[in-house]
Amino acid sequence: MNKCEIKFGKMRWKNPVTVASGTFGLEYAELFDLSQLGALTTKTITPEPKAGNEPQRIIETEAGLLNSIGLQNPGVQEFIKTDLPEYSKIDTNLIVSISASSINEFASLVKKLDTQLGIDAYEINISCPNVENEGIAFGTAPEIVFDLTKKLRETTDRTLIIKLSPNVTSITDIAKHAENAGADGLALINTLYGMAIDVETKRPKLHNIVGGYSGPAIKPVALQNVYKVANAIKIPILAMGGISSVNDALEFIIAGATAIAVGTYNFINPLGTIEIIEGIQEYCISHNISYKKLIGSIQI
Amino acid sequence: MYFKKIPVLKVESVNDEYFVLRIRDKELTQNIKPGQFFQIKDPDVAIPLLPRPFGVYDIKEDVLSFLIKKVGESTKNLSILEEGHIIQLLGPLGNGFPVAQNKKVLIASGGIGYAPMPYLEQKLKEAGNEVWFYHGGQSSNDVFCDDVQNCTEDGSCGHAGLVTEHIENCFDSMDVDVVYACGPELMLQALSVLCNERNIPIYVSLERIMACGVGACCGCVIKIKENGKVVYKKVCKDGPVFGGAKVIWDE
Ligand SMILES: Cc1cc2nc3c(=O)[nH]c(=O)nc-3n(C[C@H](O)[C@H](O)[C@H](O)COP(=O)(O)OP(=O)(O)OC[C@H]3O[C@@H](n4cnc5c(N)ncnc54)[C@H](O)[C@@H]3O)c2cc1C
Ligand SMILES: Cc1cc2nc3c(=O)[nH]c(=O)nc-3n(C[C@H](O)[C@H](O)[C@H](O)COP(=O)(O)O)c2cc1C
Ligand code: FES
Repeated sequence: MNKCEIKFGKMRWKNPVTVASGTFGLEYAELFDLSQLGALTTKTITPEPKAGNEPQRIIETEAGLLNSIGLQNPGVQEFIKTDLPEYSKIDTNLIVSISASSINEFASLVKKLDTQLGIDAYEINISCPNVENEGIAFGTAPEIVFDLTKKLRETTDRTLIIKLSPNVTSITDIAKHAENAGADGLALINTLYGMAIDVETKRPKLHNIVGGYSGPAIKPVALQNVYKVANAIKIPILAMGGISSVNDALEFIIAGATAIAVGTYNFINPLGTIEIIEGIQEYCISHNISYKKLIGSIQI
Repeated sequence: MYFKKIPVLKVESVNDEYFVLRIRDKELTQNIKPGQFFQIKDPDVAIPLLPRPFGVYDIKEDVLSFLIKKVGESTKNLSILEEGHIIQLLGPLGNGFPVAQNKKVLIASGGIGYAPMPYLEQKLKEAGNEVWFYHGGQSSNDVFCDDVQNCTEDGSCGHAGLVTEHIENCFDSMDVDVVYACGPELMLQALSVLCNERNIPIYVSLERIMACGVGACCGCVIKIKENGKVVYKKVCKDGPVFGGAKVIWDE
């Protein structure tokens, strides 16, 4: 038996590894069999198409990446027409990441997607720092997170994952509000705020001035957020933030994550997820520990 | 598209600014279109984090070569690799240049924009085209081959002056059907204007900072005119080659 199977909300995963929203696409199917992943997570889909932000949108910075993509996506209609049928062919769980600008808009987006087969979970992106008034207002106010989660809980039976921003006063407070309102799980962390300046031109390197900071640099920040939240709630955590090796993934699992997502590292090593899946399995065997016992096994 | 870890066959210095990186691989050298590129990284080097894109310079049997200019950390690291050191390559990526058939064509390159052109020239000649090849650089350091029309700004090699000025002077007498260009954006813009005025198609290869290189992150977009609208296109997947008339150039 595969020791690393997990349950996440209503889903069963063959292994605890997925990809972080916005850092992966079906393009990678040319390189490996995507059904080897525990789940696939789409880039964030919005009710209407979004052109995204003006370039420059990405810049490499201290051991990380700054991005201000601005949720470029074809909108839900086009997603259902072109992307979903392709995703549905892949024999693994599908997590559709979504964002909208009001609670009602979120609810009608979920309603629309609920009519479609092949979707296993929704990841609610209330934390993307790149779109004004969209996401971040939700992500920072515990009461709004509660109301939104409750409304979506009433709307769908599918697994509901709330994705949290680290750019808040108390992430555990927000996590508890999401749990109390009926979320099946939490995903954390989204990117940190960051910026970079060209000292010759004195201009910000990103057109949007501020962007989201990801990659190895943010791993310690992500890890302590996951640790804190894991101690405050009972629902499972999908952890992400700089994971670039088996060791990184194990740290998050030991800190309390049920599953992990690889983001920026996909750009550096597109086969990283597969290496991490194999590495976690080998660790469990060589340390004679079941995956279930490994979760939250931190010794203080 | 492949993702492979492959030993370096050779790093050959061209001069203190440029070098050629060669690898040997049967699969990677199949069916590559001129203008396509690879994302390359030394997996032993943690920072810079991201791989860097490099166009295909030459393919001879199963040897794949890249002409690279040392501009920053990654390119300097690649320039000092020893034979046998393992590097990672992702590719071939991008659309590549459309190869005309039995036409009169002009290749124009500037500086390191020369890199994808010899392979394009080979493919164009194989397809029965008559090829003019103009290349420009700042000095003789930026000149790679004596068989093309070279122009240098300091006059140290070939014609003195900008390659665009030189092309402008003899453009109409060449009477070309298609233009292919790679180099600094101001040069590509000037050539596009020249071609648009005469209704001659021009294909330009563009550079943008990339992360994924495959079309997944939406990080590398540029603005393109399409059906009367301005849309974002990914340089890595929709490009790097675009019709010069459609590009909205940065101010
Ligand atoms: C499709 C394509 C094909 C290319 N082909 C060649 C080639 O054949 N030979 C060659 O010498 N160069 C080529 N380049 C440019 C090459 O990718 C950059 O010079 C290289 O990334 C610089 O890396 P660095 O770490 O040495 O320099 P850095 O210190 O990182 O940056 C120096 C400059 O390089 C550019 N750059 C930085 N990061 C990236 C990135 N991830 N992607 C693209 N550009 C970046 C920026 O304009 C920056 O100002 C190509 C670029 C593209 C997009
Ligand atoms: C280029 C890029 C695009 C992203 N797009 C999204 C997105 O559309 N929705 C979302 O919820 N998170 C998005 N993220 C955030 C990631 O999903 C992830 O939370 C974050 O990058 C931290 O993980 P990492 O350090 O492993 O990349 C994006 C990140 C990057 C680098
Ligand atoms: S580099 Fe990721 S979409 Fe082009």
